[in-house]
Amino acid sequence: MRIETIRAAGDRPAHIRHDDLISAKGISVVIARQLILQNIDLSVPKGSFVSLIGPSGCGKSTLLKVLAGLVQPTQGSVSIAGLAPVEAARKRMIGLVFQDANLLPWKNAVDNASMLLGIADKSLSRSDLRARGQEMLELVGLGDSAHKRPNELSGGMRQRVAIARALALDPAVLLMDEPFGALDAITRDSMGQSLLEIWQRTGKTIVLVTHSIDEAIHLSRHVHVLGIKPGRITESLDIALPYPRDLSVTEDPEFVRLVVQLRTMLRSSHQPGGAS
Amino acid sequence: MSDQPITDLSEPRLASSWSAATGSWLPAVILLLVTIVLWEAAVRIFAISAFIIPAPSEIAKSLAAQWGTLMQATLVTAGEILFGFLVSVVVGIAIALVIVRFDWLGRALYPLVVLFQNVPKVALAPIFILWFGYGLAPKIGLILVIAFFPVTLSMLAGMQSVDRSLLALMNSVGASPTQILFRIRVPHSLPNLMAGTKIAATLSVIGAIVGEFAGASDGLGYVIQFASTQLDTALVFAALLLVSVLGIAFYYAAEILERIVVPWAPKFSQS
Repeated sequence: MRIETIRAAGDRPAHIRHDDLISAKGISVVIARQLILQNIDLSVPKGSFVSLIGPSGCGKSTLLKVLAGLVQPTQGSVSIAGLAPVEAARKRMIGLVFQDANLLPWKNAVDNASMLLGIADKSLSRSDLRARGQEMLELVGLGDSAHKRPNELSGGMRQRVAIARALALDPAVLLMDEPFGALDAITRDSMGQSLLEIWQRTGKTIVLVTHSIDEAIHLSRHVHVLGIKPGRITESLDIALPYPRDLSVTEDPEFVRLVVQLRTMLRSSHQPGGAS
Repeated sequence: MSDQPITDLSEPRLASSWSAATGSWLPAVILLLVTIVLWEAAVRIFAISAFIIPAPSEIAKSLAAQWGTLMQATLVTAGEILFGFLVSVVVGIAIALVIVRFDWLGRALYPLVVLFQNVPKVALAPIFILWFGYGLAPKIGLILVIAFFPVTLSMLAGMQSVDRSLLALMNSVGASPTQILFRIRVPHSLPNLMAGTKIAATLSVIGAIVGEFAGASDGLGYVIQFASTQLDTALVFAALLLVSVLGIAFYYAAEILERIVVPWAPKFSQS
């Protein structure tokens, strides 16, 4: 298993390793005497789109929280452009999106989009924040819903505002924990497509936690598969499909082949102890 | 029948808002009127003495005859309720804020607040009279000890039910505890707080009347007590009617306040 995790990090040629925006080494997490994550090595190249996929309980969300500095690893270290995650977050380098949009119901879309930025940077005036919020709403395709309150927005639109709120910080990396997990299939597809467009327009690095095989392959450049008991990276897969990708990529024979391959990997990741 | 073309494509109308409103009010109004008529008839048929149960017509007569006195008493009681209610809300909010913001103080204060809740507060009325005399102060004190608790408890519940991932978002950008308190927790607690405020409005009416029972020279509670010693039961009922009207008025005032303060909150009526 140790060999596999090394392979996960070593998928890319050594000469681009210094371009890694995020590098996690030997991450183990113990919560309430349970080994949640064991010895995870993960590197995320700058500007790439990386997905973490795995069965429920594999600790993929915990791994994302470690990267975000929300959970302290029991062992190992994470560096984001040379900084510890907590410091990186303070410097607005991390944008977070969760499954629940968590918008403030008393604020409209534009104020929600600029809310975190206003906390992070106290020097910005109200009108600066509004302008930034509006700009981000336009980026996520909600330019004309700026004055709507969350209860007037659909689930997909609320999640777009949450993405706008993360992007308003102008972070180096977007960490997303099943951001489309609560959405219906059609909305999910169009959100994924929008996310790809935002990624290509902004050049952000994105780490996406998902349990959808199609989503992982459709969107990402690298997919890491996590196994359960304990959570660890069992396999890694590079998605060689060219960008820009649209939904028609799902009909590509290569896409179908990758789906089958990833499904096989996931099936073996379900075995505790990792006999892959 | 099924091959007839459908011409009306408008939304199926359940009921217009007016007929929905009358539909929900009408049964209650009818029941009330029937009760009044039966009451009147029963008192007359069985010749029940007016100092046991006065007929509704007797109550109305008493209301008209003592109108001036009753209005004066209503004004006094309303003033006590309003003042006491406002003090309860302010103190209730302050206690909740202190408990949430200062962790160690909260851990000291919260159990005591709950413990105090078990004191039969009506029994405090004579003590308050002893301490503060017969004026406004003992009534305000009594309303406060009765009505602050639902305010504190509901606001605490609201402030502590903020989603953890929202707090994680705030922490990740380095928000201070005070920023989280006033930007997230307090506004998030407003729907709960307004529910607690409505309960406090109702309890304030009880507090004022109990305070007046214990010792007062004015107000509706005083009128009720004085009239019952005179066996003027019709006047007791007339004053009771006015207390109820006050209670309803304060409740709806709190509800209107709720709609102004938290227009985003889910409404129970929209089920």
